[in-house]
Amino acid sequence: MPDDFQNPHPLEPDVSKSLLPQSCQLVIFGAAGDLSWRKLLPAVYNLNIDGVLPTHFAVVGFGLPAEGHLSSDPDEYIRGRAKDGITRFSRQPLDESHWADFARALFFVPGSFNDARAYAQLKAKMEAVDQQFGIPGSRVYYLAVPPTLVGTCVEHLKTAGLIADPQELRSFTRVIVEKPIGRDLDSARDIMRVVGACFAESQTYRIDHYLGKETVQNLLVLRFANSIFEPLWNQKYIDHVQITVAEEEGLAQYDPKTGEMIATRAGYYEGVGALRDMVQNHLLQVLCLVAMEPPWSLKPDVVRDAKVGVLNCLRRMTPAEVEKNVVRAQYIEGDIQGRRVPGYRKEVRESFEVMKKPLPPESVHSTTETFVALKLFIDNWRWADVPFYLRTGKRMPKRASEVAIQFKDVPPVLFNAQPEVPLDPVVLSLRVQPEEGLAMRIASKLPGPKVHIYPVKMEFNYSSSFGGTSPEAYERLILDVMAGDATLFMRRDGVEAAWQFVMPILEHWERMHVRDLPEYQCGTWGPVEADRIIVPDGRRWRTL
Amino acid sequence: MTEPSARSVPLGGVERELLRQMRELQGPDDRPVQRTRMANLVIYCTSQERAASLNAEIPEVVNVHPARVLLLVADAESPSMELEATVLVRPLRRGSHGFGFSEQITLTAGRGAMHHLPFAVRALLIGDLPTNLWWAAPVPPPFAGPILYELAEHAQQIVYDSRGWPDPARGVAATAGWLEQVERGGPGSWRIASDVNWRRLKYWRRMLMQSLEGVEDRGLFESAAEIRVEHGPHAVVQAWLLMSWLTDQLGWKVQAGRVEPGVEMIWRFHGPTGEPLLRIHRADDGPADIQRIRIACCIDKHDAALDLFAQDSQRLAMRIEGIDEAPRTLTLPPHSPAELVGRQLSDRERDPVFRASMSVAQVMARSLLE
Repeated sequence: MPDDFQNPHPLEPDVSKSLLPQSCQLVIFGAAGDLSWRKLLPAVYNLNIDGVLPTHFAVVGFGLPAEGHLSSDPDEYIRGRAKDGITRFSRQPLDESHWADFARALFFVPGSFNDARAYAQLKAKMEAVDQQFGIPGSRVYYLAVPPTLVGTCVEHLKTAGLIADPQELRSFTRVIVEKPIGRDLDSARDIMRVVGACFAESQTYRIDHYLGKETVQNLLVLRFANSIFEPLWNQKYIDHVQITVAEEEGLAQYDPKTGEMIATRAGYYEGVGALRDMVQNHLLQVLCLVAMEPPWSLKPDVVRDAKVGVLNCLRRMTPAEVEKNVVRAQYIEGDIQGRRVPGYRKEVRESFEVMKKPLPPESVHSTTETFVALKLFIDNWRWADVPFYLRTGKRMPKRASEVAIQFKDVPPVLFNAQPEVPLDPVVLSLRVQPEEGLAMRIASKLPGPKVHIYPVKMEFNYSSSFGGTSPEAYERLILDVMAGDATLFMRRDGVEAAWQFVMPILEHWERMHVRDLPEYQCGTWGPVEADRIIVPDGRRWRTL
Repeated sequence: MTEPSARSVPLGGVERELLRQMRELQGPDDRPVQRTRMANLVIYCTSQERAASLNAEIPEVVNVHPARVLLLVADAESPSMELEATVLVRPLRRGSHGFGFSEQITLTAGRGAMHHLPFAVRALLIGDLPTNLWWAAPVPPPFAGPILYELAEHAQQIVYDSRGWPDPARGVAATAGWLEQVERGGPGSWRIASDVNWRRLKYWRRMLMQSLEGVEDRGLFESAAEIRVEHGPHAVVQAWLLMSWLTDQLGWKVQAGRVEPGVEMIWRFHGPTGEPLLRIHRADDGPADIQRIRIACCIDKHDAALDLFAQDSQRLAMRIEGIDEAPRTLTLPPHSPAELVGRQLSDRERDPVFRASMSVAQVMARSLLE
C-alpha cells in the first residue's frame, strides 16, 4: 500500500515528510484508563513542551470514565485527568504557565465503545475540533483498550465513516493498536483480520513501547555503527544472552500514606500473565534486535523483515522442553522499598472488591504467572547452540531491564587457571531502564607487584553523558505514527510469528491444570526453580 | 565544591538523591558526572556507636577501593518500625586530585524493621560489580543467624574481623567449620570469606618465614621446645591465627590445651622430636596486636631463643638471644583497619594457607573446649 507522506517536504527538501509529524488529531480510545493517565497524556504534554508537535494538533479522548468521575463538562474531565497524570508521571514537571495552552487542545467525548451514537458524537466533536484548530481531517486513533474491544472499536469507526482511504492525499487515518494483540494465536489473527478489514497495513501501527526506548534503538547503532562488535556477535564468541525485564510494581498500587489500593491492573492482568503480557511482545521484540541479521537499509519493512527472520528461527518447544526450559511462578507476600506488600492472590481478591466486580471462579486460586523465565534457542548459523535466557517478573527488587551479552571465557590457562575462582566473564550489558545506557565489564590487572585480576565496569549513561532526560518511549512512538514511520512497530507477520513461538508453552500449561505455581517473595529475584534452567548449564542469573 | 552532607530520603528516592548530590558537588559543569565504583560494599553493624566509627572509616575504605557502600545499622535498641535511608556522596581525592564521587547509603532499622534490610539491599546493589559483605557486628559470623546468609546472597566475599571476639575459643572453633559451608566455587557463584585479622598478620608471617629461613639449617625446627606469644588486649585471636599457621608450618600436632582465664592459653603439641608447648599470653595493656614471640630452641646444639617483637608501631624486629647482633628488622607499613578492609576488597583469591591455618586453629580450640 503506498504511503502518501513519503514525498519530500517542499520547504525542507532534504527532509522526507515521513520524518515530520503531520497535523492531526490524536484520538485516544480508553482515555479514562490507566495507560492514558500514566503514559499517553504525559507523553503528549512532553512533546508539546519540547515543541515537536505539529502546529495544528489536538487530543480527543473517548471512553467511559468510572462512575461518578465525569463532571458536567467532559472536556474539563479529561483536562483534570491529564493534569493529574502529568503531575504524577510526566518526565518534565507541570509548567503552570504552559498548561492553559496545552489544556485548550484537550477534549473528551464520553461514550461506550459499542454504542453507535457515541461514535456519531465523536465524529461531530472531531469535526468541530478540526474547524477550531485548522486540522485537515487527519486522525491517529490510539486504541488503549483491552484486546477484546479492538474489533468493536475499529468496526464502529468504519461504520461511522471515520476511516479515510489510505490513498487519500489530503489527510490520513492511522490506528495504533496496543499490545497484547490477542491472548493467543487465534485471537491475535482475529484481531488483525478485523483491523485489517478496516485499515490497510500501512495505516496500522502495532505498538510495543519497548521499541521506543533509547537503549533498544541504540542496539542497532551499537551493533551496526561500531566495527568492534559485529564480528564478535555470533556463536563463536558469545556464550549466552540474558534478557531481563524486572518490574517493581505488582498488580495493584497503594497509597503510601493510607495503604489503600488506589489502582489495579487486575481486570487486565489476571488470566493473562507474564508470558502473554511481557514475553510474547516486549522480550521477543528486544530479542529480535539483539539477534537479527544486518538489515540492508533502515527502511521500515527491511528492518521488520530482519526481525521476523529471527522469530522464524526460534526453536519451537515440545511439551518436554517446556517442562525443562520454562519456569513460571507467582509472587507471595514480601517486601518492597521497606514495606510489606501482599501476595498476588490476595491482591486479585482485593482488586475485584475494589472494582466492585465478582471474583471469577478461576481466580479464586489464581494460577496466573507473575514471573516467567525461559531458555530458548535460535536455530540459524549465527546463533547455533547459544542459549538465550529470558526472564521477567513483577514485584522484583527493583525496576530494571537489560540485555546482557556474555562473551565466552578465555581458556583456563594463564590468568584463568584457578577453577575455584574463575575470571568474571566479559559482559556487555545494555540497560533499557532505568538509567538507560550500556556497560562493559572486562578484566583488568590491579596495580601492584603481583598479578591480581579484577573486573572493572566501563559505563555509558545517557542522562549523564547527554544531559537531561531521554524522551519516554511513548513520546517517540506517537511522534513516529504522526510522521508515518512504522520502523519501530510490529508488522502482522511479526506478531503471528511471536505467538507461534509462545503457543506451545501456553498449550502445555493449559493441559497441565496445575493447582499452584512455584512461589517467590516480593522483593526477590524470582523463585529458586528459575535456577534449574540456567545453573545446570554452568551459568547464573545476573544480579541487576 | 560544597561540603557533602548526608540527607534522609525515602527508600525509593535513593538513586535520584545520589545523582542530585553528585551534580551538586560537581557544580555548574557540563561534563558527565563521574561515578567511581569498583564494587558493592554492604556493611552490617548492630549499634549506632559502631555505625559512627564505621562512618569515620568508610572514606578511607573507598579511597583504597571505590565502592557503593550500603551501611546497614540494625539497631535493636530502637523501637522504630521504619527502615530509614540516608544518602551521602563524597568526592574522592588522591592528594589534591579528585577522581570522581563515592556513594554511601545508610539504612537504619529498628527492632521492627530489621527484616526489611535484605530486601532493601537487593534493590540497591549495582549489577556486574563484585559484592562484598563486611560483617562489622561483634558476634562472629557463624553465630549471626539467617541475616548474614540473606545479606550474603549475592556476595562474592564476606569480610569479618576476629579482633575482639568475646569468646575466642568458640568463635574460632565455629568459624573454621563455617568457612567450609559458606565458601563455594564455580563459575558465577563462587564466594570466599576473609578475616581482616589474617591480613594484619602478613608482616608477622613474613618476619617469621624469613627468620626461619635463616636458621633452618641450624636445627631450630627439630629443637623448638616452647613458643610464647604476647599480645595486647583483644588480640588473642590474632595471636591464635598466627600460631596455628606457624605450628602447621612446623608440622606440630595438637595434643592438649588449657586456659588460664584472662591470662594465658597453653597447648602441648606433638613435634618432630618432642612435645613442645605453645603459650599465648595476654598483656594487660598495649595495642591490640601481637607484641612479642619467643621461640625457645637449640641452635647449633646450644640452648637459644628467637625473639621477635614489635620494635615500634612501624617495625618488627628479630634477634637471637645471647648473640650480640643488631636485630634484623622489617618495616611494618601503617595500616588502619579501614585500609586493611579496603585492600581486602580487591583481594578475591581463596587463600589456602588461611584455610589450613583455620583447620589447625579449630583443633586447638576444640582442645580447649573439651
